[in-house]
Amino acid sequence: MVPYFEFQNAVKLLCGELSLERIAIELELMGAEKPLMLSDAVLTKIGTLSTVICAMESEGVSPTAVFSDIPVDSSLAVVNQIASFYREQGCDSIVAVGGGSVIDTAKGVRLVLSQNKQDILSLSGLNNLVRGRHVPFIVVPTTAGTGSECTGVAVIRNDDNGVKMEFLSPYVEPDIAVIDPRMTIGLPPKATATTGMDAMVHAIEAYTCQQANPLSSAYATAAIRLLAENVETATRNGKDKQARFSMALASTMAGIAFSNSMVGAVHAIGHALGGVCHVPHAVAMTILLPHVMRYNLSHCRAGYAELLPYLVGMDAAQSVPASERAEAAIEALEKLCRNLANICGIPLTLKDAGVSPDSFAQVAQVAINDGALIVNPRTADENQVIEILKAAY
Amino acid sequence: MRAIQSLIVAIVLRVVHAALVELMALDSRVAQEFARMPEGLSYSIRTGHGGPVLHVQWKDGKLHRLADLPLPTCALRIKSMPLSFRLFTGQMGLSQAYARQAFTMGGEVADVMRLARLVNLVESYLFPKVITRRIMTDVPETEVCFLRAYARIALGFLTCKYKLSR
Repeated sequence: MVPYFEFQNAVKLLCGELSLERIAIELELMGAEKPLMLSDAVLTKIGTLSTVICAMESEGVSPTAVFSDIPVDSSLAVVNQIASFYREQGCDSIVAVGGGSVIDTAKGVRLVLSQNKQDILSLSGLNNLVRGRHVPFIVVPTTAGTGSECTGVAVIRNDDNGVKMEFLSPYVEPDIAVIDPRMTIGLPPKATATTGMDAMVHAIEAYTCQQANPLSSAYATAAIRLLAENVETATRNGKDKQARFSMALASTMAGIAFSNSMVGAVHAIGHALGGVCHVPHAVAMTILLPHVMRYNLSHCRAGYAELLPYLVGMDAAQSVPASERAEAAIEALEKLCRNLANICGIPLTLKDAGVSPDSFAQVAQVAINDGALIVNPRTADENQVIEILKAAY
Repeated sequence: MRAIQSLIVAIVLRVVHAALVELMALDSRVAQEFARMPEGLSYSIRTGHGGPVLHVQWKDGKLHRLADLPLPTCALRIKSMPLSFRLFTGQMGLSQAYARQAFTMGGEVADVMRLARLVNLVESYLFPKVITRRIMTDVPETEVCFLRAYARIALGFLTCKYKLSR
């Protein structure tokens, strides 16, 4: 049977220096003049949001309203609240400045507005929505990890049950993503390291899950090479603009990859750890990656082996016997995590992340209902998820 | 060709419902899935344009088959009849269908995951291993002989056990 796949990426990317100053003209070209700015309290406090607003104002566009209280773990209620705020303020477009939580919240707001609904809960599903009203939507990522600027999914917490819900639709993709090195230059080392590993997980799972396709794999491998080459440098020296820019590009490419091939068990379990134990997403990804790879090894040995050259370079990979390259790829990632931990002290175990083993059963129960698990190369039931959690503890 | 595919899909949908009802009593994993299922949870499965449909609802400890379901908790729509035919004749597993974007879904992804686990268990009884190994990454072991499941389903059809609920 000839394999079938779909591939979509309709996001226009503005990449490189002085990208922020182009937001104003892009809004104008989309017929928008009253943007709602979305961000969080930290980015407001450290001046990142004002950098973006100043760049827009210098080119003649001022925000009509600003909502800068998006929490770290945003929720459906926050999305609905912001959608109401947008309507009250008479805005006509959205500019989101932030990491995964801000961008995913903004995607949810855009979805509610374009579908002309009051409650985002009524829009949950998988590629089942018709194209709604166009709400011009620009995102400015401030981390190099989530790749959310280029994905057709929004992950938003449901406070009623603590579950992170997935809204999958091509219509959550932004119109424009702005990849400006100024936005990640001040990112602290720990956040640089863990969000970088989050991007690494996106790329590795995109390459090895059941939905992988030739185009997503091309993006994934390019992302892995850039991440392996730059994550330590960017963590050690945040002022290295080239390393920062490479990380941002890699994150975006990994986002394009997994948006078109899905992710896997690392994300399924990581979402559950976030929902149940409030472990930050990128930290969970960093901790779980090698353990899930070992679990999956029997089912995707060839795929992991193929990734070794992108992780350690062609010469080093060729010195490893072909039959040992899959294990070598996992060991290379473990070494990378250890190096990052030595540089900035990120947690490498669930114990260090403050997770209690008492929560494992609940985490496993949530994880097996996460959509990311369906395309994982190996099936995982509750007991198997608990074993992975124990290994990561 | 489409008419034949449609007829076969309609039959298999009925068998899948019957198998779920019977395996609830035969397989502890199926029983556990239903025990955890929220009361009133409903699935609507549509196949292609104007093809056969299956509406089921979990209520009062039973999986009811319904003639219509205006507001299902989880609404699956398989994108074409050839895809539906492949899905319901052991040529494509549910996870493969997901990976090939063979269906759209309204509702929560968690409910599709419940259904996927149940369908995998049903298929492990209904299809021989030579088929299930091709369509699943890991084939669940059956807890009882598949012939018992077939016998109970056949008896159920003979006694009109799976008729539409009101």
